[in-house]
Amino acid sequence: MKMISCIIRPDKLEAVASALDTLKIIGMTLTDVRGFGRQKGQTERTPEGESNLRFLSKVKLDIVMQDGDVDKVLAAIGEAARTGAVGDGKAFVIDVEGAMRIRTGEKGANAL
Amino acid sequence: MKWLLCIIRPERLDVVRDALNKLNVVGGVTVTPVKGCGHQRGSSTPYRGVQSRLRFVEKIRIDIVVPQEDVSRVMTLISQLAYTGNLGDGKIFTIDVKEAMRIRTGELGAAAL
Repeated sequence: MKMISCIIRPDKLEAVASALDTLKIIGMTLTDVRGFGRQKGQTERTPEGESNLRFLSKVKLDIVMQDGDVDKVLAAIGEAARTGAVGDGKAFVIDVEGAMRIRTGEKGANAL
Repeated sequence: MKWLLCIIRPERLDVVRDALNKLNVVGGVTVTPVKGCGHQRGSSTPYRGVQSRLRFVEKIRIDIVVPQEDVSRVMTLISQLAYTGNLGDGKIFTIDVKEAMRIRTGELGAAAL
């Protein structure tokens, strides 16, 4: 199993959730976060030497899935979340060794 | 070392936290309020073949890193205490941790936990 942990713009949440729903991926956890990347949170160019770190509001989506679904989920997230402007976010893929559904005790793929 | 990523109902947090304290095997815990949904798309009544909008429900995320040998014990404890039998009880994922560091001392590995 793999977990895709992606950071996206808050206003792209609906689009991404919708795209995942279409792929029949409906389990996910969402966290409000703040962050920045290479641009240090600046949306406009700042003069060299000035560093003004700004934490921007983003949304983190954690989704656990079968290995075989990773590629299509990454593609769907990219397409739904992309604007082409700096600050679109990132998606990371993490290996998940185990999973359990608390209500039933089911493990592995049956827990997803 | 393994990372236990647990999603539970907010109302079960106190009872889970108290039990982890007593167990004394867990060096630390991180708790984050999150929203989420599973198969029921966030609704608490069973899915009846009707397309329902994705609703995000308040949950609590507990992140714990433990030595490999404690995984089973901690997972069992959390799942027993977080269980209500109703939809929305949550899930526990286990993820391998390659390295850990205690910032204050620079200790690495199990000594960091």
